[in-house]
Amino acid sequence: MDSSASQTPTVSQRDQWMVEHRIFQIYDFFGGLPRKAQSAMLELQRENHMEYLIKGLKRLEPSFSVLDANRPWLCYWILHSIALLGECVEPELEDNVVDFLSHCQDPNGGYGGGPGQMPHLATTYAAVNALITVGGERSLSSINREKLYMFLRRMKDPSGPFRMHDAGEIDVRACYTAISVASFLNILDNELVQNVGDYIVRCQTYEGGIAGEPGAEAHGGYTFCGFATMILINEANRLDLAGLLDWVAFRQGKECGFQGRTNKLIDSCYSFWQGGVFALLQRFHSTLDEQLALPHSGEGDCTNDSQKTGLNASCPVNLNSIGYNFIKQPAETEPLFHSLALQQYILLCGQDIEGGMRDKPGKGRDYYHTCYSLSGLSGCQYSSAEDEDSPPLPSAVMGPYSNLLEPIHPLFNVVLEKYYEAHEFFAMS
Amino acid sequence: MHGRPRTAPKPEDSADSAAKAEKLRSLQSQFLSNHHNKIYTKEALEVNAKLLEINPEHYTAWNYRKLTVEHRLSESEPDPDSVKSILREELRVVESALKQNYKSYGAWHHRKWVLNKGHSSIDHEMGLLDRFQKVDPRNFHAWNYRRFVAALMNRSEVDELQYTTDMINTNFSNYSAWHNRSILLSNLLKTKVEGFFPKEKVLNEEYELVHQALFTDPDDQSGWFYHLWLLDQTVKADAPVLISSWPAHDSNLILSGDRCLDDCYLSAFNTFHSDSGKIPLILYFNQAVEGVNSSTISVESVFNTKGELSWKPLSTNNSETAQVWVTHLNYPEEKLHSSEAYPVEVRVGHSQGIISSSGFRYNQPSRFAFKVFVRSVEKDPAVHDGEMISWGDENFLLYEAPPQESNPLVSLDQLNIKDYHEQTSSMWRAETIANEIALFRELLSVISCKIGKLTLARLLVAHDTLLSPCAKKMVHSEEVIKLYSDLMKLDPPHFQYYKDEYSLVLLQQLTFSRESLLRYCFRHRDGASSFISNSICLRLNNLSLSRMGSIERLLWVQMLDLSHNELQSIEGLEAMQLLSCLNLSDNKLSSFTALGPLILLKSLKALDVSRNEIGLHSIDTTRYLCSSPLSHTEEIDWNRDEIVTGDVNLRNYWEAFLIFRGLHLTQLDIVGNAIADEKFKSFLVKIVPTLKWLDGGELH
Repeated sequence: MDSSASQTPTVSQRDQWMVEHRIFQIYDFFGGLPRKAQSAMLELQRENHMEYLIKGLKRLEPSFSVLDANRPWLCYWILHSIALLGECVEPELEDNVVDFLSHCQDPNGGYGGGPGQMPHLATTYAAVNALITVGGERSLSSINREKLYMFLRRMKDPSGPFRMHDAGEIDVRACYTAISVASFLNILDNELVQNVGDYIVRCQTYEGGIAGEPGAEAHGGYTFCGFATMILINEANRLDLAGLLDWVAFRQGKECGFQGRTNKLIDSCYSFWQGGVFALLQRFHSTLDEQLALPHSGEGDCTNDSQKTGLNASCPVNLNSIGYNFIKQPAETEPLFHSLALQQYILLCGQDIEGGMRDKPGKGRDYYHTCYSLSGLSGCQYSSAEDEDSPPLPSAVMGPYSNLLEPIHPLFNVVLEKYYEAHEFFAMS
Repeated sequence: MHGRPRTAPKPEDSADSAAKAEKLRSLQSQFLSNHHNKIYTKEALEVNAKLLEINPEHYTAWNYRKLTVEHRLSESEPDPDSVKSILREELRVVESALKQNYKSYGAWHHRKWVLNKGHSSIDHEMGLLDRFQKVDPRNFHAWNYRRFVAALMNRSEVDELQYTTDMINTNFSNYSAWHNRSILLSNLLKTKVEGFFPKEKVLNEEYELVHQALFTDPDDQSGWFYHLWLLDQTVKADAPVLISSWPAHDSNLILSGDRCLDDCYLSAFNTFHSDSGKIPLILYFNQAVEGVNSSTISVESVFNTKGELSWKPLSTNNSETAQVWVTHLNYPEEKLHSSEAYPVEVRVGHSQGIISSSGFRYNQPSRFAFKVFVRSVEKDPAVHDGEMISWGDENFLLYEAPPQESNPLVSLDQLNIKDYHEQTSSMWRAETIANEIALFRELLSVISCKIGKLTLARLLVAHDTLLSPCAKKMVHSEEVIKLYSDLMKLDPPHFQYYKDEYSLVLLQQLTFSRESLLRYCFRHRDGASSFISNSICLRLNNLSLSRMGSIERLLWVQMLDLSHNELQSIEGLEAMQLLSCLNLSDNKLSSFTALGPLILLKSLKALDVSRNEIGLHSIDTTRYLCSSPLSHTEEIDWNRDEIVTGDVNLRNYWEAFLIFRGLHLTQLDIVGNAIADEKFKSFLVKIVPTLKWLDGGELH
């Protein structure tokens, strides 16, 4: 074999080596420290993170102006990070957020990227999650659910999937944000669900992960979105789950973090997108079992005439209760990824000790990575806990136990306590 | 949201960026005011363009442009030049927006919209893409757009393939290029485009290409993934094939209506007892198929008079697709006591309808035939079901097959009943695999690399499988076993995977020939006097198996000892429809879910699962990997009165309930599992009324 074909490394290889080198330097340094110093190095810098987050909520530096069409996202990233840390913001700031998001709400339903902008599914998801994270009557009742439902219907393409916005692109993100919001707000129905599953099934690639659109490569963010959507519409069985598990298991690198796609550099935000897929897998099967074993008497006859699609067709399920039942199930399994290693990566490589989190060493901090690193970290910490009420064992939490964050609902990525509050609120109204 | 430039601001920049932000704010409010007042003038468009060039994420601004374009086009309809110039301007704005942020969904989408209006040329778009794909060869927006343009403008897939070649030559780590290549090639091969037929020639070139990547840097992931895809293209048999059946072709089956006495001139392998006069007929395909029914399978037999046979897929996930299918032939009771021979002929796939799950048709009609000898044997009144099977070693004697006895493995290979019209293609496969094997041996002689070892092992297995119809033994099994043993040491995180593969190869080796198989065949002392109708026990115990395999060669087995292994799953065992006694003791089965395949074994009478890990872990990882029995929606007659008794907690036991309630066990051993406390045992007695012995003790 012609091994002299090209001895010069490719750009990707050089990048990969540099990242590995940098990360292993950190780990080596860490490994050489005395225990006490190690523990200090692993500590989550709560105060600094809070300072960084609050600053962003009050006033953003001008360099954030490119996010002008994504302002509800900033609200969500920051508020969710704060909630993960178990902290609150002053009532006045919360009111400001609710007011601001109300300005982003379109008179015909949905939320735009800023006041006056047209409604968009991604910013609608961000706004709804942000409002739920703020919580309370004023915040939750500011969402116009009837109009939002009409908006979702308008965004649904006749072929099944959703468009991001009027005349916008169709992809898996759009499906997730639409279904997630509808499920959260208790307005999910068969019209919205119809043929979404067909589209997502077409996006699963031969590698096992899910791509943004049919024909594209499998990708961490879309894999989370696609799988979560399929769970929410009770069609996850239609995916090749063994292939999906296989793909996601191989995305955790020897640097301990996750990569988003085959042969890409690792990035802390995939701690949530890929790690979240594991969290979903962990609870998914037990949900299935429960539906089958103890059909609720109120849900009519569970006949087995239509066995074509397995469980789904045979047993009518209340679409809006899937998210709730999902989290109420005990997670029966240990995580199938290396949870402590991932926590180590997030804390040692992703954390800016001045506050905020970053993609990888050498990159700057930002709110997006802060939100998804912390979400991923929370997922890791609770990944061995049997049910939502029992706190994780100290051995499951990397670093001092004070690193423990609030648990999240893995389908929506909202802090669990906030989820319950909202669930109750929307179930009543 | 992701991948936006994130540069930490330097102090000297901050004044500058504050000014920029101010400018942006002003553009934004001008734009919004234009938008809301429906102002579509040229000036308004310029404001909008400036905004988008700074912030391409502004999707509202993109939509405004669409409205404006529609508006202006409706004004200047008849003038082709102004139409052109309007659309050209849109392309320009998109391009400069992309320069600002080449991951902007809105910008790429706007460009698609313009192109759908029939503007721009393929050269222009390809030129643009080349520039962006050079900057970031993994940018999936650009790849998606590329596929869009190629489809819209009918760019030939051959040219697109050449593009991936160029990309790979520049940077073989670019998995996006490899991925697109696999999509394009699949299409080109399927449609047999000129230059892409025969498939063999094309794939050979692909191997050469991927070798360069693999051999330059064996640590790079991209090439290996592509190689795996290639290997799959090489060995996968598209059309489904019948690989095994029970009864086997040319076999003489002895069906006895009563207990079969130790009758040494009968073939022990082919004796089958049935009280009901039913014998199973099992078809084992090389892949999951659907459409097995009485119109695709014809069964000719004197007794097949009760109308159409009903075929059942042996699938644990309740799908209509399965690799193994079963039906039952009925022998009227009055005939069971005569001594006659009845020929049965089975024709498979003479009419169309059997289709693989990937959509390929069964296209090699085949037939097999066997004879059923019905034996009348006087029932010995002293013998009844009242005895317990004991699995102790002292009960087993190595089976010595009488020389004239029919070989259990003879004609197991249904492959010889199909004709090989694919001669050249299969020769090419063997040759290609052999080449690859040589190459990877060479690579491994230079460096040690895990993925290289794994690939070599897979190649060797593929090679042996291809040759198996004619080969006398598995040529490479020793080498493969050695490779997997190495890998278990080298790569502990993936130990279990290697162990599973190791087990499969070991089982192939053990079951491959009559000689090797007979070393594991034993005669059970109580054979004739209990409910096993032939006295041969296949003992695959103490082999440290973590998984069961080669089941297509073991369909005849009625008594199976898999104890003292490391089994975590018994997937596949559902095909062994004749099984009546099964020993799974001293394994690593960790839940009842893992016993799912047993639900389909209707003749199982004695089961030993003692000393496993059921109930030990609250964790049940098998569920991820095996299809769960719970997706198997056989009617669940959840009659609460039936089981809700005393303080038995349904929730804890319902998995056990689902498994055992469908079985008619008379003997069960479950001792030595964390779950097996007194409460659980009393629950078992309730849900399995047929049970006579539990953990060695007689009930009632």
